[in-house]
Amino acid sequence: MLFSEIYGSYFNVVAAVLSEASDGKLTDRRMTELVREKAFAESALAIPAALKSGTWPLLDQEYHSILHHKPTMPLTMLQKRWLKALLSDPRIALFDPDTTGLEDVDPLYAQDTFILFDQYADGDPYGDPAYIACFQTALKAIRKKRKLRIRFRGHTGARHSIECIPYRLEYSAKDDKFRLLATGKRRLNTINMARVRSCELLDAYDPKSITLPQENSEELVMLLHDERNGLERVLLHFSHFEKETQKLADRLYQIRLRYDKDDETELLIRVLSFGPVLEVIEPSAFVTLMRKRIAVQKQRFCQ
Amino acid sequence: MAYSELVKSFERIRSYMREFYVYGFKSREEYSIKSARSYDNERRRIESWIGDFMSFHQDTSGKNVFLSVDSRRIPHNPLHKAFKAKSFTDKDITLHFYVMDLLADGSALSSREIVDCINDDYLSHFSGAFSPDESTVRKKLKEYEALGLLSSEKCGREVLYRRTDDNTVDLNTWADALSFFSEEDPLGVIGSFLIDKLEKPSDSFRFKHHYMLHALDSDVLCDLLAAIDEKRAAELTVKSLRSGRDYQRTVCPLKIYVSTQSGRQYLLGYHYRGRHLSFFRLDAIKKVTIGNVEKHYSKYLGYQEKFDQHLWGVSTGPDHNLDHIEMTVHFDPGEEFVLHRLEREKRHGTVELLDSQTCRFSADVYDASEILPWLRTFIGRIVDLKCSSQYVLDMFQEDLARMDALYGGGNDVIQ
Repeated sequence: MLFSEIYGSYFNVVAAVLSEASDGKLTDRRMTELVREKAFAESALAIPAALKSGTWPLLDQEYHSILHHKPTMPLTMLQKRWLKALLSDPRIALFDPDTTGLEDVDPLYAQDTFILFDQYADGDPYGDPAYIACFQTALKAIRKKRKLRIRFRGHTGARHSIECIPYRLEYSAKDDKFRLLATGKRRLNTINMARVRSCELLDAYDPKSITLPQENSEELVMLLHDERNGLERVLLHFSHFEKETQKLADRLYQIRLRYDKDDETELLIRVLSFGPVLEVIEPSAFVTLMRKRIAVQKQRFCQ
Repeated sequence: MAYSELVKSFERIRSYMREFYVYGFKSREEYSIKSARSYDNERRRIESWIGDFMSFHQDTSGKNVFLSVDSRRIPHNPLHKAFKAKSFTDKDITLHFYVMDLLADGSALSSREIVDCINDDYLSHFSGAFSPDESTVRKKLKEYEALGLLSSEKCGREVLYRRTDDNTVDLNTWADALSFFSEEDPLGVIGSFLIDKLEKPSDSFRFKHHYMLHALDSDVLCDLLAAIDEKRAAELTVKSLRSGRDYQRTVCPLKIYVSTQSGRQYLLGYHYRGRHLSFFRLDAIKKVTIGNVEKHYSKYLGYQEKFDQHLWGVSTGPDHNLDHIEMTVHFDPGEEFVLHRLEREKRHGTVELLDSQTCRFSADVYDASEILPWLRTFIGRIVDLKCSSQYVLDMFQEDLARMDALYGGGNDVIQ
């Protein structure tokens, strides 16, 4: 049973409150802080009141926990079975977690239960020891706030060696690839992990001293002509973008979405894939790209 | 009943969250299938859970609420929070902490002993607090045993309960894996529950092309996985995406097909009455009732394996016959990435290099019209298109002509 109160924010926050109460550190203010941090916006109305009034008889008048121990809870079978299923995912090799405690657990599902039918075929080599080593070094650098020297081949095949500050690993399920996001001397670097030949940990850096580069974002404005279930298909397809949709008329909608200018070509072909259902109206440079592709295509068919 | 930010059933909130996240242009009045009060309550709840990601705009139709977030900028799916808002009774939460505490030292106690301890150790601090009866406690113990929090053993006529954390998993070593798989695994919400147990969750990952909406179907998916794991039939209650009406189907669930590009997930199952394989969108399935063990499971799985060899997406076409399609593509010097694109993006078929700047993709699939969106991504490069389905060819040409009209013709832009 997935939808259960034992996984809920209220149970978690009450456990945190009781834990602090066991140490004798709980105050009204701290209780409110914990509720704000771990539960929902309106939880501050419900949780402290229930604890203070004795509706949930867990705290005494002096805000001491009446329990004998700090609250803990074993993992549920669902949680263990999910963890066990992950052990068959080839990407788990990148993380190398301690699997103690899962020996006699059945996985929640077999990996081949899922078919990612439109995932690209050239995903990262998760079984390659060199790839795993580079990935783990990069991950360590992010975690420990260390600089990194990376040697990699660019998309043209040219060799590069850069010193950088890695700050995230970005994964795309469509591409089945990890990209390292790093700041260097010049600008934001996005490096495909599969192109990295070696990674070397360098000195620690002061996180306060770096400013993450701003994404070069742009707004795309499109008209959506709702036919062939286009409204649902388009909005779901672009749902991972920050976007706003407005209904202009019957079966006519306007979509504004923000995209990274570096991904313009990818976005262009995604818009093209919807055919006449989508009509780009801004920015004009994007409209020109659409117009050009269509015109070239027309010409090719005329030849 | 007084308003609460917690909910008993997930189904209604699932529907509202989907509407706010995917559409977001509807005004309060357009949610006419439910009452205005229901709308206000659900909107208020969602705002309480994930208000940081909610926006509003006002137009002539009224105030519209929508959820908008760039998946690349956040480490965790905010929709997981909905699964952490299950309602409970005062007894539920109180008994939870009492039972876990009484058994925390590894002891094994009967339900009677637990009731006695609750009264002596805890409730003696309060006057007028509730006093749990043994049957309530026993019910809770059995519930927790089913969840795997407790195990039981018979001792004479009594059943003793103890916690199951004697062989613990060190979650700290899983921190990065949890951060990653809580987003990328189809049941990542379970990872999110585990992250809540960590003192220092990892913040090392971000996700591109990330369809967070899948999370709302986790409960349904979890039931389907249980049926698949145990090779059992299942009765599905499905909401028709066209008519909005509910209908039932009894199927043998076989595989979950996940699209990394459209944001949709499907169950592929053997439909007993229709005697064929059928796809069901997970977001349309409202309820799964697990049935009997299926003796012919391997046979149906064999059907699926054969079926999968020519599926482009999730459509079998009108008659289960194969369409043959060929697309010849031109690329200029320095544009070899086009060839690489074909190789990595084709799901079936072959790519053949005809000369140094021309290649041909060909495939046999059940429904070539499903390939149309992908073909359109090569607009500007296609030199020839052939298909055994005239409908597909006509559709491509017609769409191209309409696109040309939309952009006002464009021969002047070619240099």
